[in-house]
Amino acid sequence: MAQIETELQLLKTEAINMWTLVNSQLNKARQAFITFDKDLAREVVLKEKRVNGSELKIDRDCENIFALYCPVAIDLRFLLAVLKINSNLERIGDIAEGIAKYIIDTDSPFSDELLKVTRILPMYEESVNMLLDTQDAFEKEDTILARSVFKKDDFLDNVNRSSHKVLEEYIKNHPEETSQALWILSTIRKLERVGDQAKNIAEEIIFYLEAKVLKHKGKFA
Amino acid sequence: MESTIIKSRNFNASFGTNHVVKNVNIDIPRNHIIAVMGPSGCGKTTYLRCINRMHELIPGASSEGEMKLNEEDVYQMHPIFVRLKIGMVFQRPNPFPNLSIYDNVIAGYKLNGIKLPKAERDEIVERSLTKVALWKEVKDSLNKKGSFLSGGQQQRLCIARTVAMEPEVILFDEPTSALDPISTSTVEELFTELKANYTLIIVTHNMQQAARVSDKTAFFFLGELVEYDETKTMFTNPKDQRTQNYITGRFS
Amino acid sequence: MDGKNIKLRLGKSYGFQWLIYILAFACLLPLLAILFYIVRAGITKINWHFLVNIPKPVGESGGGIANALVGSIIIILSASVIAVPIGIMAGVYLSENRRSKLAYWVRLCTDILQGVPSIVVGIVAYFWLVRPWDLGPIHHKGGFSALSGSAALAMMMLPIIIRSTEETLKLLPDSLKEAALALGMPFHRVIFKVIVPVGISGILSGVMLSIARITGETAPLLFTAFGNPYLSVNIGKPMQSLPLLIFNYATSPYTDWLNLAWGASLVLLLWVLFLNIFTKVITRKWKVQL
Repeated sequence: MAQIETELQLLKTEAINMWTLVNSQLNKARQAFITFDKDLAREVVLKEKRVNGSELKIDRDCENIFALYCPVAIDLRFLLAVLKINSNLERIGDIAEGIAKYIIDTDSPFSDELLKVTRILPMYEESVNMLLDTQDAFEKEDTILARSVFKKDDFLDNVNRSSHKVLEEYIKNHPEETSQALWILSTIRKLERVGDQAKNIAEEIIFYLEAKVLKHKGKFA
Repeated sequence: MESTIIKSRNFNASFGTNHVVKNVNIDIPRNHIIAVMGPSGCGKTTYLRCINRMHELIPGASSEGEMKLNEEDVYQMHPIFVRLKIGMVFQRPNPFPNLSIYDNVIAGYKLNGIKLPKAERDEIVERSLTKVALWKEVKDSLNKKGSFLSGGQQQRLCIARTVAMEPEVILFDEPTSALDPISTSTVEELFTELKANYTLIIVTHNMQQAARVSDKTAFFFLGELVEYDETKTMFTNPKDQRTQNYITGRFS
Repeated sequence: MDGKNIKLRLGKSYGFQWLIYILAFACLLPLLAILFYIVRAGITKINWHFLVNIPKPVGESGGGIANALVGSIIIILSASVIAVPIGIMAGVYLSENRRSKLAYWVRLCTDILQGVPSIVVGIVAYFWLVRPWDLGPIHHKGGFSALSGSAALAMMMLPIIIRSTEETLKLLPDSLKEAALALGMPFHRVIFKVIVPVGISGILSGVMLSIARITGETAPLLFTAFGNPYLSVNIGKPMQSLPLLIFNYATSPYTDWLNLAWGASLVLLLWVLFLNIFTKVITRKWKVQL
């Protein structure tokens, strides 16, 4: 096997490891969110350092491969995709940390009604699934799976758009839960961004595999 | 509207029974730089030598098919005329060792018995050497033999000699593979300047060179023309899997 | 490895080294002996008088080798005029056609010709050019002549010229020919304006070597040029040459003639020596650095 192939394999493994890490961060934050576990949330905040470290290493490795191997065609696209996916994953990691920080700062757990009316739990689950799907698509080089991520984002956008009205209503009826409601709103905004990041990752995967640029083109390509 | 200067249709070439160039169809546009690449033994050098009819000089060599220069079939013309219109620069710099630099540049005229007045000869020498960025370096030693020149300078001298004949097309057979990196880059700089007046076809083993200098690239494999496209496309998204395997170095 | 063994091997190596030195030096001895002997015997005989007079009849003192000198020069020049063009062309042909049938036969015949004894060459020239023959409208009068001698010598020069031309041109890189062809040169110009000029040093050295070879040949001239007591410049008639003079006079009983023979020997020796040195100098000077 050519040296460049070995290097690209290693890079792929590193990227998947980062994916797994960010995934677990997001999941842990969700767990902490549901069970109101401040310790778990603090774990997420501490682990954020590892996510940043991983991003730096992947960046450096990409730079080395560019410098030493002059990659072309699919190798070149793979590296460009990994660079962008790397920063997307890091931002998702930041979002997970942000959500964990909310848990730490809140005084009391969220009420069931609040959670149900905002549909934040299914939204959270869907965003985690989107991230898992992109990871699968990357690992298995499956562009169909990558494309399916775009549709899932619709649901997240939906929840996000309706959250403003829903929460306005809720605060009017439950003024004592205003603080919680505001936290929920912020979390919904953050989750919507997770969806966007996952969509960007899917676009990069399709670019790398098919040399098609879907960025800024609209949802369906 | 770019015009085609060299056209090949169903072109085949062989050495005896060894069929090395198979059914090549290609259109080469005027004033472009075309790179021809491929692994060893893929027929690219043989194809190049067929363009200016150097291939047939090898005993046992044969070719068939259409090879047109400006709509005229090269194989219907006298080979001498073909070679006056299509020049060639070789892998190892080969200036004539017994002639001075001045005589080397003018060799195509002098050794062919074409007599020119001194003023015209001087003008041709100066013009050709300027075109290859060698004039300033050698204008005070035109009468010396070329042996003191470095490899890169010698190769540029050979290019000057070819350019002095005012051909329409210049063929390059791995022109920098015998040169060090700095000489290589001075020769490569020349290509872009020469493009304005000539059409260049460059056979190269060095993929990065093909990527750097050419407008279009042709990829040969096992005697066939596998892919021929804009260089940018060839190196970011080749259409054929064989091309991709070659440029990403996946051949074992 | 014990010390005694090593000492023995070193000793042997040292001994062999010295043996080689001695034997190499021994090769010089014959040449030095000849030079010494002939110089000593001939140096007193050479003077201006010697070089410009023809031999006097027996009994009269004085005389010189003028006719032999002039004769040798004319015969060798004529032989060169015949052999050099043919030899170079043949050499060019052989270097261009490595594998054709004709090339095979030419090479074979050249090698055989090289080995033919010089007297046999002389006899052949005698039969072809000296004896009169009739071939219908062509009637050859026959008779000894310098031209027949030159022809015989030319036959001896050919193999050397052909071989050295072929070898010189074979050593030239193909890229030279390709460069010339790519400039639109027709084949004959490639050969005569590029290949031959670059290889001129090697070709010339071959020519010089062949001249040096035939300068001293006696046997072929015995029954062709035959010899002539007078100075002649007519190549259709018999002519004297240095080796012939030496051959005839060295075995004669007259001291005058013996002296002439010694002087002529020295002149011949010096001529050959000079030719060889000249060849070396010219070859180096004209050698084209590829």
